[in-house]
Amino acid sequence: MIEIDHVYKRYRRQPGGGWVLRDINLTIPQGVSVGLVGRNGAGKSTLLRIIGGIDQPTRGQVRRHCRVSWPIGMAGDFKGSMTGRQNVKFVARIHGTSDAEVQAIIDRVEAFAELGEAFNRPISTYSSGMRSRLSFGMSLAFEFDVYLSDEATAVGDRQFKRKAAQAFKDRVGQASLIMVSHAEGILRELCDAGLYLEDGIAYWYDDVHDAIAAYHAATEGGSGEQGETQAAARDE
Amino acid sequence: MASSTGIRTPWQVTRSVWFALFMREAVSRTMADRFGWFWMLFEPIAFTLIMVAIRTFIRGDRFIVGADFVPWLIVGLLGFFLVRSGMMEAMGAIQANKALLAYRQVTPVDPVLVRNAVDTLLRTVVLGVFVAGGLLIDIDLFPDQFYLAAFGWLGLWLLGLGAGLITSVAGTLIPEVARIIRMLNLPLLIISGVIFPLQVMPRSLLEWLLYNPIPHGLEYLRLGFFESYQMVDGISLLYFWLFVLGFLALGLVLHIRYAAELQAR
Repeated sequence: MIEIDHVYKRYRRQPGGGWVLRDINLTIPQGVSVGLVGRNGAGKSTLLRIIGGIDQPTRGQVRRHCRVSWPIGMAGDFKGSMTGRQNVKFVARIHGTSDAEVQAIIDRVEAFAELGEAFNRPISTYSSGMRSRLSFGMSLAFEFDVYLSDEATAVGDRQFKRKAAQAFKDRVGQASLIMVSHAEGILRELCDAGLYLEDGIAYWYDDVHDAIAAYHAATEGGSGEQGETQAAARDE
Repeated sequence: MASSTGIRTPWQVTRSVWFALFMREAVSRTMADRFGWFWMLFEPIAFTLIMVAIRTFIRGDRFIVGADFVPWLIVGLLGFFLVRSGMMEAMGAIQANKALLAYRQVTPVDPVLVRNAVDTLLRTVVLGVFVAGGLLIDIDLFPDQFYLAAFGWLGLWLLGLGAGLITSVAGTLIPEVARIIRMLNLPLLIISGVIFPLQVMPRSLLEWLLYNPIPHGLEYLRLGFFESYQMVDGISLLYFWLFVLGFLALGLVLHIRYAAELQAR
């Protein structure tokens, strides 16, 4: 269960200084997967970061009563001079894994990321696709109650994408997801409830289809949404 | 993972973060370039030896009562570097580990503390190398009063750590402060009585120089090493430890107060 208690967010340096999130006040029950929809800049990623504890709300607070992952596929957290294996080991240790379990996690990441020999080479030699495969594999190797995902399934080549979507599906039974994506097919498939964000205000829908419908209704006929429609069409 | 029993206590989280960061720092330092582990030790040793070579060439050892000049200089340099690197290394620690703050478990103070611990451990080993080397070639570098020397070393470490906690916050939030602190590097070496004995300074100037806490700690460290060493007048252990505790308290308070700002950087 995650309680979001009257959360406001404002970035000081942002021109205009307006509120990105305004009075978000809701509870995400245990085991319910939520899809976040809304147009670009509506505050979806900010809300996800606040839920994950990476960003602090300007007002209000978030209480996590379960184990919450970092946003899956978050790039740039690897040390270039260390090998993939050493980086995975580091993250496993942060999460308080015992020595015996560390090896199990490393094996799982190695199998999932399909890096082959490169797993034992420094990260600085990796391509960006290899990096995101490693970071995606790492998130799934840990058993969290709630996984956070920000367009994560969009990384890697076709084959890896399919594998990633499958891995998500397998987890849905045991754990839940909070997901930001423009790929509505994936949202419909993986999420139960939906959260539609508009101008920093969140609207909760018990059924993700309703949230997507609300999003469509709000953007219907509006110009300047081409980029998003295209992105959605491509991913579906 | 901490099993499925649920949530770890804050102390458990912190402990595993420190351990993970420590191993990461140690591994990445030794793997950074060829013979990384060798340069880690050799660099401070060589630097100290070069300073010793220059200073013995210029001479001016007649003002030190109760200690040989070269050991006096080595102890002073190592003690000073302990404080200085605590202060300087901390400034880059948060920026260098910025990406790790994306893991909720890691707070900005963690990389500062861990980097300081790694550095202190290394410098303690270097001190040990010098003491052992001194025994071999018959230079009097073994502490006469071991516990006093250890206490002095501990004090200098904590002074550097406290200063580092402060500079890590100030230098990260206000980049200009980091520049100014880096500029203080060399002047601090000269006015702390590391390479020139403070005894030669005129009385009126000395009064001012002793507002700096570093010489207080250094003189006590030297007293620990050389039993009959005559310290500069006006050295106070109380004054030194007030600074140590003050710096540590202020540094930790700053880290609590500005945690969110540091994270947002």
